[in-house]
Amino acid sequence: MAHHEVAAYLRDIRLFQAFSDADRAALALVLRERTVRKGQVVIKEGDPGEEMFLVRDGALVVSKVVTAPVEQVIARMGPGDFFGEMSLFDRAPRSATIQADTTGDAELLVLDRSNLEALIEANPRAAASFFHALVQVFIERLRNSTDLVAEVTRWGLEATGLDVDGR
Amino acid sequence: MSEVVPRRAKLELLVRRPAADGEDAEAASFELKEVGSALAFVRLRPQRVAAETYELAAVASRVSGQTNFILKNRQTDRFLLLSEPEKFLWEQMDGHTSLQDLATAYVLRYGEFDFDVIPALIRKLQRAQLLVLTPASALRRALARSRAKRLAKMLESSLTILERINVSSRHVDSFFHRLYRFGGFVLFTPVAAAACALLAVGGIVGGVRLWHNAESVAAGFGEHPVLAIIAVKLLFLFTVAAHQLVHGLSLVHYGRRVREFGFTFLHGIVPTFYVDVTDVFMTSRRARVVTAVSGTLVHLVLGSLWFMVAAGMPPGFMQAFSAASGMIQWQAFVIALYPFCFIEMDGYHVLVDTLGVPTLKSDAMGYVGTLVRGRAPMPATREEWLWVGYVLLSTVSIAGFIAFNIWLVAHAS
Repeated sequence: MAHHEVAAYLRDIRLFQAFSDADRAALALVLRERTVRKGQVVIKEGDPGEEMFLVRDGALVVSKVVTAPVEQVIARMGPGDFFGEMSLFDRAPRSATIQADTTGDAELLVLDRSNLEALIEANPRAAASFFHALVQVFIERLRNSTDLVAEVTRWGLEATGLDVDGR
Repeated sequence: MSEVVPRRAKLELLVRRPAADGEDAEAASFELKEVGSALAFVRLRPQRVAAETYELAAVASRVSGQTNFILKNRQTDRFLLLSEPEKFLWEQMDGHTSLQDLATAYVLRYGEFDFDVIPALIRKLQRAQLLVLTPASALRRALARSRAKRLAKMLESSLTILERINVSSRHVDSFFHRLYRFGGFVLFTPVAAAACALLAVGGIVGGVRLWHNAESVAAGFGEHPVLAIIAVKLLFLFTVAAHQLVHGLSLVHYGRRVREFGFTFLHGIVPTFYVDVTDVFMTSRRARVVTAVSGTLVHLVLGSLWFMVAAGMPPGFMQAFSAASGMIQWQAFVIALYPFCFIEMDGYHVLVDTLGVPTLKSDAMGYVGTLVRGRAPMPATREEWLWVGYVLLSTVSIAGFIAFNIWLVAHAS
């Protein structure tokens, strides 16, 4: 994919919507393309993380191990979404496993830690808008997680027939 | 407007499977499954607690001809009344049989499709902590009554405060065992029974003699008969402790445990001592009857003694006080043994035990309530007649008791 196509794609990504065209063009130069076959794992829970990913095409499933071989699906990703950024900031192991859905391949763009840090250092204004968008996405994900906790709790109560308000 | 039925919760799971021969190990090795809570529920495999943790005893009803079962959690002292089908389901809960299988077994056994009995039983068992997967405790329901009226709110608050007053101990079993060993056992001998009968006769004789001079005896209170009667009632309160102690001794006599002894305000109003005799449910009917009756005999004995003392005294305050004390003790004896007064006291427990209908009062109140509101058919079965009879007798008895006390106070004044 040509760099200008990547730059045009970045315009639709929330993290980079406030970037100038020049900033997006500069970013497009450092992004790598990666194709993931259907069902293939992109990042694995517990592994170290040095990259974040932007979903250009396809669908991905985010899951967390419950008990081998069963994992709980905690989110789904589609075009315009991004993932893997958490480990870039806190340097902790990957918190979940992300794999391409079994329905088809996925096209990703990869941004590694060194390029992200270089971007932040070289362009404080772009960095500020990047982090602002990031916080908004985190808030959205936190809300979704809270809803998921409530749903899982309700599931547990219904599945066990537990009468919590009984005497 | 139709009621909105909440959506059942769902979980989405990803189940990995090992790559088959020749298959790319990195790709396509999982399956996504959506699992509804309802599906999970029917696949639940409830497991009853270990055999040494519970006891099961049969209770035969002489009214309905049915046999019910009392299931006790020995660790928490929670009791459940199970019907025969519920007992059948309980026995299937071995940790291997799913609720779906239980439902199948239930249909094959009873030919009924009323599957609500299964989740209802699961909830009962969970509350009583009789299933292995049960969380430690259930949440208590908050008081949800209307508090719009200020007076009602104040009354409710006062009752709540009084209800919370509870001075008790759960470490009393050894005390009762010592009490039994150092003399309490005498109460359960034929000699004690004979002495009790003799005292009763003496009390009756004394009571009759006092009755003949009732007006002069009552006049002994002088100017303040009401205050004197209040003093008599306060003194009586302490004899309730003796009543409960004897219940506890009876439990020891039959080799069961006394779980608790204490003081509280019954329904937030009546100050009383109490003893937890629930362990007696796991023994014989005779033991249950003796335990129930033995406590009440304290009032018979004390009442007889007071009457005999009063009969031997010259007219005056002490004679009136003794006679009133004897009267209140005998009233307590009758009330405790008389089962038809809406109060679940000793006589009531003997009655329901004898009839084999442990939920007589609540069933009777429920049935008569719906009958009065015109929502139930006229009584037809033996059980329905029993319920109506219980409510009628209790109503008449309470009215008679109130009238008798009014007459007593009026004559004492």
